[in-house]
Amino acid sequence: MRFLTGPGTQAGDWHETKGEPGRTPSMLAAADMPALGPRALLHVALRGTPRPRGTSVNVAPRAEADVAMERYAEGDDASFGAVYDALAPRLYGYLLRQTRDRARAEDLLQQTMLNIHRARASFIPGAEVTPWAFAIARRLLVDSLRRGKREMLSDDGELDPGPDRGPMADEVAQARELATRVERVLAKLPQSQRAAFELIKQEGLSVAEAAQVLGTTVAAVKLRAHRAYEALRGALGDVLGGAEGGKT
Amino acid sequence: MSATPPPADLRSRVLAAASAEPVVPRGAGARRRIIALVAGFMAPLAISLYLGWPRAGRRPLEYVVALSVAWLVVGLAATWGGVSRGRSMLGRSATVRLVVATLTPAALLATWLVAALTWPQTLYDHATVGDHIVCVVFTLLLAVGPLVAFAIVRRRSDPVAPRLTGAAIGAASGAWGALGIELHCSHASPGHILLGHVLPVAFLTVVGALIGGTVLAIRSENGEN
Repeated sequence: MRFLTGPGTQAGDWHETKGEPGRTPSMLAAADMPALGPRALLHVALRGTPRPRGTSVNVAPRAEADVAMERYAEGDDASFGAVYDALAPRLYGYLLRQTRDRARAEDLLQQTMLNIHRARASFIPGAEVTPWAFAIARRLLVDSLRRGKREMLSDDGELDPGPDRGPMADEVAQARELATRVERVLAKLPQSQRAAFELIKQEGLSVAEAAQVLGTTVAAVKLRAHRAYEALRGALGDVLGGAEGGKT
Repeated sequence: MSATPPPADLRSRVLAAASAEPVVPRGAGARRRIIALVAGFMAPLAISLYLGWPRAGRRPLEYVVALSVAWLVVGLAATWGGVSRGRSMLGRSATVRLVVATLTPAALLATWLVAALTWPQTLYDHATVGDHIVCVVFTLLLAVGPLVAFAIVRRRSDPVAPRLTGAAIGAASGAWGALGIELHCSHASPGHILLGHVLPVAFLTVVGALIGGTVLAIRSENGEN
């Protein structure tokens, strides 16, 4: 996993950090957090993690999940652990953001992984695992919502930051405030636009993958995500304006 | 992309739950699917044998051969587009499945129209209401085997649009049923083809859509859909 690291780090620089298991970007300590620009703040607000410079959105070990699932389907029982390791962090992040309920997110993640396990015998050689896994997670999430077992998202609903979170930097506080604003804007959008935007901008899926997850065309997803982004830009013009101003 | 590590104990819980529910590897799964498909197509074959060998009746043999080949192609295309998932675990695109579900009955009707215009004497055949009912019943019976086989093959595999997939599967199985009855029915009047042979395909499309929501959908661990 990539983390921002300590003193001397330029804003937006990233390093591979090993040996810090369980430490997530959302747990960045104030001392570790360099000054973030408006764009970086918006990125933190959208994704929960700063985005490394020069990297594409899809930094997930996508191939890892595909290879592990391939091995699992071929009969290597131990590979299911690798499938879990490759998929669980992204799926959990997605489910946690959608449910704002750790217990429910864990339950849905477990169900998603079990559905992947059940499809072992019918896994298509060469098939992409990530969009399929997100589609399963989304389906289970939607069913859970329909059953009314989810605490409805409210405008002021905020995710429990967890017990071992470090001291808050101003930037983190700003990012969280911005995240709340983003959520309010997203909550007002049509569900189709919101889902497309979340899968692409928050979960890092490609447009083609998001189209598969949503069961629609690439063009439709592009349009929906673009409209959501336009709405967001309209509502957060002050932040983005600052970003563009800073760029010149 | 935001990756949030789930709790450490969840991994062991998931792995334990997976081991408690063993699933065969792909090779064994493929064999089971082939068995299901063979069994599914043996059922209409048995019904066909009950009905006797294929016969042209009062229809020109060329008409029967041409229409059977055309409906075979429709059945194969519908199975390819509606049942097979291609290279994606999420199946073929929604557009392909929608085309299969909506255009399969239309394709059967269109190919029949071409055959009927090529051999116009078949248009003057007269079939009774009883003939229509017999063909409806046998078309449905001939389609049940493929429908069940397709449903087994695609069971709990569609997290996005199971009803649409179900409709496509229903249409594909209906096309096979229509082909089976076409080989035996000696009537070729427009009304009979429409009511006795094509209407059941549309009916099966609706049935497929209805069962798709429960049979093909991804379900939660506790069996809730």
